[in-house]
Amino acid sequence: MPALLLQLKDVTKRHTASGGAAGVSVLAGITLDLALGETLAIVGPSGSGKSTMMNILGCLDRPSHGAYHLAGSAVAELDDDALARLRSRTIGFVFQSYNLLPRTSALDNVATPLLYQGVGRGERMRRARAALERLGLGDRVSHEPSELSGGQQQRVAIARALVTEPALVLADEPTGNLDSHAGAEVMAVLRDLHDQGRTVVLITHDTDVATSADRQIHLRDGRVAA
Amino acid sequence: MSLPELLRLALSRLRTNRLRAALTMLGVIIGVASVVALVGVGQGTTSNITTALSSLGTNLLTISPTSTSSDGSTTLTLDDAEAIAALPGVADVAPEVSTSQNVTAGGETTTTTIIGTTSAYPIVRAYRVWQGSALTDVAVDHGLRVAVLGKTTADDLKLSASDIGSQIRIGGIDFTLAGILQPKGGAGFQNPDDQVLVPVSTVQKYFVGGDSVRTIGVSVATAGEMATTNARISALLRQRHDLAATADDDFQVFDQTQLLAAASTITGTLTLLLGGIASISLVVGGIGIMNIMLVSVRERTREIGIRKAIGARGSDILAQFLVEALTLSLLGGLLGVALGLGISALIARVAGWTFAFTPTTLAAAVISSLLVGVVFGVWPARQAARLDPIAALRYE
Repeated sequence: MPALLLQLKDVTKRHTASGGAAGVSVLAGITLDLALGETLAIVGPSGSGKSTMMNILGCLDRPSHGAYHLAGSAVAELDDDALARLRSRTIGFVFQSYNLLPRTSALDNVATPLLYQGVGRGERMRRARAALERLGLGDRVSHEPSELSGGQQQRVAIARALVTEPALVLADEPTGNLDSHAGAEVMAVLRDLHDQGRTVVLITHDTDVATSADRQIHLRDGRVAA
Repeated sequence: MSLPELLRLALSRLRTNRLRAALTMLGVIIGVASVVALVGVGQGTTSNITTALSSLGTNLLTISPTSTSSDGSTTLTLDDAEAIAALPGVADVAPEVSTSQNVTAGGETTTTTIIGTTSAYPIVRAYRVWQGSALTDVAVDHGLRVAVLGKTTADDLKLSASDIGSQIRIGGIDFTLAGILQPKGGAGFQNPDDQVLVPVSTVQKYFVGGDSVRTIGVSVATAGEMATTNARISALLRQRHDLAATADDDFQVFDQTQLLAAASTITGTLTLLLGGIASISLVVGGIGIMNIMLVSVRERTREIGIRKAIGARGSDILAQFLVEALTLSLLGGLLGVALGLGISALIARVAGWTFAFTPTTLAAAVISSLLVGVVFGVWPARQAARLDPIAALRYE
């Protein structure tokens, strides 16, 4: 049995409504294990709690109840700075809308996570360039996001997610904004990551995309359906 | 994040929005420039007044009688001057007897003040000899008919260096031109260069009878002894004039440093006032920075969310926005200093005083512009740092 990377135990997320009312449960008692090197697809329609799941897995948010252990850290007990450090070291994000820094070259975009790790400038540029080259964007390093196609922007985003060599890659609807051709390209890249032994969590409403993962869970109304 | 990294980030950001950066900086530029220029004007005025006053003579005490009798005689005498010269703390004493006479040389005639004095006069009154020589002790002791002309008087009579030793006529009596004084330029109501110096004994022999003098100029050895010497002179003169303890002084001692002190108090207040008014525009410039930084935080909410998601801590975001505000204010401050110095140099040239600025002013201008950046940059930066990454990422 390979080592566990993350473990959710009975995780509940309740959005407190204004006025101190009881609020709405977005996640209700999720329990989940993920081993290193495994790929997992979290599938569900909109409103099923996918995004909240992604925020908690990505350490952008803490669970209301339950325990979340990621790479040996008890996430629920960490303060904001410690969460930021955990994100910086452990997680690479790929978003549906790419979320690249505007008016910033592809190279600087990819190098930015290393900036927050305190890596020196020369080393940052070298590693960012290498990451872009691995994704076939070696000739696009000085282009700004507005000068790149959607598929290229998403590959820059993947390069940014990988440049820190994170234990976990979190991809939130990575093909959602792309046409089928570019989407297929991005999925090929993500499959390559799996083949290289990376741990990938893929959040999608598209069951075709989900089939490329080792394992799928289906979310419905904040619960694991199957 | 290190400071060079933060600066690189801030500069690249400002470069992408040059017009906005320039306009934001303009507020600080105008604020700092007006502070520097107005303080420069204040300091220029101060040094101008100080120079003018010290050209009257260094550590000068001027003693004059409070009343003059109908025959023109006064209570001050040459003997008083000699007695004062013997007091401790007194460096030089120059009694002055004055009269107004026609002076003729060649075909030219002018009417001017004839001052009978001693060889100490140039020292006490801060004159220097331009051509020839000053009055000598020999000339004063023997009442010789020699004259030293002020530059303006010499020009009026068309006398120059080659005329030293020639004869001129003062009040119809022949005098030998001994020298011409260097011009001092106007420092008061009277032109200090339009006068003729002759030995005091000569004036008394030919023009003014009696022993009384118009003023006695006293040069005090050091600035620190001004007050004590002033008191000693008063005591001595009261004793010599046999004044009763209840009687008022029949003379007054005028201390130039008091005037200087009063003048610098006035100009100091003026400088402070001008600088204070100008600081208001600096504050307005700071508010401009805060305004733009708040707009910037709003516009870049999504960027902040992205940065937080990929590992930035709140303090990284805080530092990024604060350094941006500081870069704006510091660049504006430096440009403002340059502009302000230019303006005050221009004003100094137009007003004809020496352009004066102190490193303290510059340091204060730069530090206050940095302070403006911190004060008006912290709040927007804190707003940015506190943003919730999830909400920020969702922000459109």
